[in-house]
Amino acid sequence: MTEKSLKRVSYTVLTGPAILIYAFIIIFPIVFSLSLSFTEWSGLDTPKLVGLEQYVRILTDPVFLHGLRNILLVVAVSIFGQIPLGFVLAYIIYRRLIVGGRFFETMIFLPITISAVVVAILWNQIFSPAGIYTALMRMIRDDPRYVLGIFESKTFAMVPILFIILWMYTGMYMVIYIANLQRISPSVIEAAIIDGATEGQILGRVILPSMVNIIFTTAVFAISGSLKSFDLIYAMTGGGPAHYTEVIAIYMYVNTFKYYNYGFGSAVSVVIVILSLGLIGLIQIIFRRFERMYEA
Amino acid sequence: MSSEIRQKNVGWNLAAYIIMIIFTVLTVGPLVWLLYSSVKPHFDIIRNVFGLPKTFYVQNYVQAWNLAHLGILMLNSIFYSTVATAITTLLALAAGYGFAKFKYKISGFFYFFFIMGLLITVHSVLVPLFVMETRLRIDDTRLGVILPYVAFGLPFSIYLATSYIRGIPDSLEAAAVIDGASYLRIFKDIIIPICTPVVATMLIFSFLANWNELIFVLTLTSKATLRSLPVGVLAFAGGKTRNYGLQFAVLVIATLPMIMFYVFSHNQLARGFAAGALKE
Amino acid sequence: MKKAIALVAVLLLSAAFVFAGGQEEAVEEVGKVKLTMLAYKDLADPVEAANWQIVVDTFFATHPNIEIDIEYGFDEPFHNKLQAMFVADQLPDIMFLWPGKRTGQVTGSGKIKDLRPWLKGHEDEFAAIAVAAQGRGGEIYELPEQVTDCHVMYTNEKLMKELGLTFPKTHADLLAQGAKIRAQNLIPVAMTNKTQWQMQSCLLSALTERAGGMDWYDRVIVGDNASFADPEFVNALSVIDELAKEEMFSPGINQLDYGQALTSFVTEEAVYYIDGGWRANNMVGELTDEQKEYVEYKTYPDIPNQKGTSGSTASVAGTGYGMHSRLEGAEADAAWEWIWFYSGPVGSAIRQGFGANPAYKMPTPGKLDIMVKKLIKFVAETPAGYVIDAVMDAEGMGVLHPAIQEMMMGKKTPQQVAEEYEAWVAANDTSRK
Repeated sequence: MTEKSLKRVSYTVLTGPAILIYAFIIIFPIVFSLSLSFTEWSGLDTPKLVGLEQYVRILTDPVFLHGLRNILLVVAVSIFGQIPLGFVLAYIIYRRLIVGGRFFETMIFLPITISAVVVAILWNQIFSPAGIYTALMRMIRDDPRYVLGIFESKTFAMVPILFIILWMYTGMYMVIYIANLQRISPSVIEAAIIDGATEGQILGRVILPSMVNIIFTTAVFAISGSLKSFDLIYAMTGGGPAHYTEVIAIYMYVNTFKYYNYGFGSAVSVVIVILSLGLIGLIQIIFRRFERMYEA
Repeated sequence: MSSEIRQKNVGWNLAAYIIMIIFTVLTVGPLVWLLYSSVKPHFDIIRNVFGLPKTFYVQNYVQAWNLAHLGILMLNSIFYSTVATAITTLLALAAGYGFAKFKYKISGFFYFFFIMGLLITVHSVLVPLFVMETRLRIDDTRLGVILPYVAFGLPFSIYLATSYIRGIPDSLEAAAVIDGASYLRIFKDIIIPICTPVVATMLIFSFLANWNELIFVLTLTSKATLRSLPVGVLAFAGGKTRNYGLQFAVLVIATLPMIMFYVFSHNQLARGFAAGALKE
Repeated sequence: MKKAIALVAVLLLSAAFVFAGGQEEAVEEVGKVKLTMLAYKDLADPVEAANWQIVVDTFFATHPNIEIDIEYGFDEPFHNKLQAMFVADQLPDIMFLWPGKRTGQVTGSGKIKDLRPWLKGHEDEFAAIAVAAQGRGGEIYELPEQVTDCHVMYTNEKLMKELGLTFPKTHADLLAQGAKIRAQNLIPVAMTNKTQWQMQSCLLSALTERAGGMDWYDRVIVGDNASFADPEFVNALSVIDELAKEEMFSPGINQLDYGQALTSFVTEEAVYYIDGGWRANNMVGELTDEQKEYVEYKTYPDIPNQKGTSGSTASVAGTGYGMHSRLEGAEADAAWEWIWFYSGPVGSAIRQGFGANPAYKMPTPGKLDIMVKKLIKFVAETPAGYVIDAVMDAEGMGVLHPAIQEMMMGKKTPQQVAEEYEAWVAANDTSRK
């Protein structure tokens, strides 16, 4: 075998199985869903072609727009909360700035190991009107009808959920960063210390530049994960009260599986993909800038 | 590290400890509550949600285990998680190597194709996937569960693997190619060992996702003998009937193995981290 | 290349292993009818599970020639599964169905058999509402296992006595009791309204009949010279609005999960508790013997401008099993055997022993729990109107329920809620088409 064909065969063997399985499972459902988004269909008879009508309906529905606003909040918390915090935590543990880093690492990651439904049940036991926090506040304020009013505010009902999302997923970014920090050769850092670099300089000049790539990667996860977020919010509030904590994925689920509007539901999932792509494109432009900055 | 640098960082350290401790308390608190509540009978839970158990009511566990046939569900969970995780991780590493180091143009297309998978909501493919599996007669089989697990696990793992392998200096494998080592040998002997830290991450995430997955296994299988633990959890949550004692017991049964898996594998893999770092 | 071959071999092996696990073909037996069934059962509930096991064991023992492969589902996942099966044209031979809109898409598709030919001659053995038409042509798609009263105002008479109260005659009387009850740190009316059905099924349905009467209710469903924007419906909504404004409900009612209000009633933190009649099952297990003596079944007091029946509840024919229209001959007969067994005399007797109130008329046995006896008496004596979410589309409830929540939080008036809902119904509801 020639070098060239050997390379080609190796490539096929390496990437082929993943591509085949993935294509086999994904392609039919995606095409199905995409074509349904231009129709009206309840699962019976043949779908009725309606063009872009479903998309117009979505974009003019105030419930969808509030869901969009909420999901952008989740994206913001992920990008400006989880990623920096996750990085800081990873850095603290990686540089051994504290004692017991391994213990804390385990603790911070632990929420991810619990399924979202269980997390929702646990937190509801704390913040719901029947929960421990409410009970405590009722005692302190001597007001037996006290409830956490924030859940009944259209503007702020998302705040407790955002807080839980921050707590739950920061550990995931931390672990990814730790794995990538391990890759930086310790000798480079030692050399910097010998040169008299401060902790800040080590971070800014040695570590951050080599992490730009992975930070971009995690930003993509954050966007795609946020736009799809369903389990936790659905189990906690179901999008209520009165759609205050509605997010797009719940909107899609309810319309598809409760009201059997397959065309409409499919259109919503297409909107999710388009939104994600848009946001990821935006992030990519920003990161290109950073890369150039470090290259310069 | 010199003690001088340590002293400069006292403020840093304090802040670090505070964040770490807040996280720990938030995580451990609810879990401890869950653990002791799971040994209280339903009658006691509804009368005093936060009280410590008066007796050690193991009956919750016995009853939950038998009612929901948790034994078979547990075995299935282990089977699905292990097999799907192994396949996903191996395939993702191989594909990641291909995409990152073989400078073929088509890689860009395939890579994009996988990344798009990150954006797809599970619910939007549920019905077409069920239709497809029934036509192919792989619905209600273990294969019918594992294939979607692998397919939906691949985008995340491929992304991790590819971006990690891209960061490996070309010089390392170029040397091996000159030595005449085949690509597959480079994959096995050079890429995989260097990738140990990211493999650890991939294994953990993949395993967790598969362990907690509910909606596929519920829709794509019918036989009780093919289902997994989250189905058991679901059986006790919500509905018109209720028994918090049983519900909490089953939550512990579903959650504890994962926490133990993580704590255990984490320590194991930490040694891998160190090894991986040394090799470079 | 060796490595490549090894890799492929490993993959194939694991695939083969996987295949081996899932496909065991059952051996055909001569003379046996084999059917598939999708059952709705919460097997995690000890009472339900024990009850069901006896029903199934008895059936198979008495019908050795029938074999049924049973799949179980419960709550939302059940509906997701039924829906997926429906779309893939993979519905089982026998399946659990609702009489109204909940599974209306499946029952209305022509894929479910009309049971009337089999039921003929047995109609009188069931409560009248149970054998009422379920389809437009009078079809009966499923044989109801029970009759469900969705509105009960459970009352703690001991607490009332301690507070010096008697059961209110009117809505205004009830509101007047609020201050006294709250002064003792108690909840006047325990109820939950987080998920999409409790307020509509358990309170609004009864209030709608009270406000408008059955004649108006019949007309508003089809839109015959009546609409949900009429003063009648606004009146019904106003009652809920006032209860919320006057702090009569459980604090944070719109955030409370179903079940949490029952807890406060059981722990005697609430005087009244509004929920469905099915809660009798939980009361049996959760109330102490002493409590069972003084917890009574009532209905909401009279409301202002009441045109409907005083003391009425809202009632719906229960769920039950139906069969696929493709079944013919021996298979159809076998499926009927199961349906009749489950909702007919034998199955009903078994379920009654566990606290159910069967649609099949039968004498009340003496050994029942007192809470079940009280329920049976309540169902027999209480007049009933429609359950709104059984007669109107589920999607419309997705409009009505958030609007009611906003009204309760002071963001909308009853008039606005009524108009918003009517607008949706007029444009979309299948009852109006």
